[in-house]
Amino acid sequence: MRGHMKEDDERQIREALRQSVPPIDAELRRDLWPAVLRKIDTHPAAIAWYDWALIGASCAVFVFFPQMILVFAYHL
Amino acid sequence: MDLLRRFARGEIDAFETLVRDHQSHIYAWIVRIVRDPGVAEDLTVETLWRIYRARQRFQPAGNFAAWARRIATNLAIDHLRRSRSEQSLLAEPAAAPAPDGLLQQETRDKIRQAFCRLPVKLRVAATLALIEERPHDEIADALGISVGAVKLRVFRAVRILRRQLAHLGITPGETRT
Repeated sequence: MRGHMKEDDERQIREALRQSVPPIDAELRRDLWPAVLRKIDTHPAAIAWYDWALIGASCAVFVFFPQMILVFAYHL
Repeated sequence: MDLLRRFARGEIDAFETLVRDHQSHIYAWIVRIVRDPGVAEDLTVETLWRIYRARQRFQPAGNFAAWARRIATNLAIDHLRRSRSEQSLLAEPAAAPAPDGLLQQETRDKIRQAFCRLPVKLRVAATLALIEERPHDEIADALGISVGAVKLRVFRAVRILRRQLAHLGITPGETRT
């Protein structure tokens, strides 16, 4: 009974909504590949924040402990 | 080597093929959520760009269409949150009148406004389930939630709408003119 009321409620709202905000069936009017390619060319991959943090931490270590540069270079 | 593997390796030709194969579906999905063709085009380009940037995270054995749809859905939801795009929904009826004019224009406007006031998460679930009549499992996949959670969101949207409309003196089952 309760389930039936819920379904009925949903059906009524669905009907009212579909009349007020009709379903949309728009087709893509143009090929978007040129725009995507342009965006790829003009927005090269961004460096993530954690990469910047790593670079910052490394620079700080090298400034305060310059001898670490040799250790770092050895492991490269 | 298959297309998805080549895409994951960053081959632009493979990505171009994927874009041409999937752009219409991605656009159609986004436009259902944002309901503005111009905005949907921009968001489709943004989605495809993000897909390309995230290519290394894509598992070639996975479902590209579902992955793309999820990225598109997240972007569309972000857009709705930013814009609270009431204007686009309100501008719609002039271009798309109600199918058989069962409800008066004023009533339709009130219902549309009440719908726009729903929280974005509920509005998107209700748009896809009630207006666009997409299957619950498809919606769940796109939103990254369970089918049960989709049903709950739709139920909550219906309950809020019912309450708001009652407050405005509208009872959906009795509004035929």
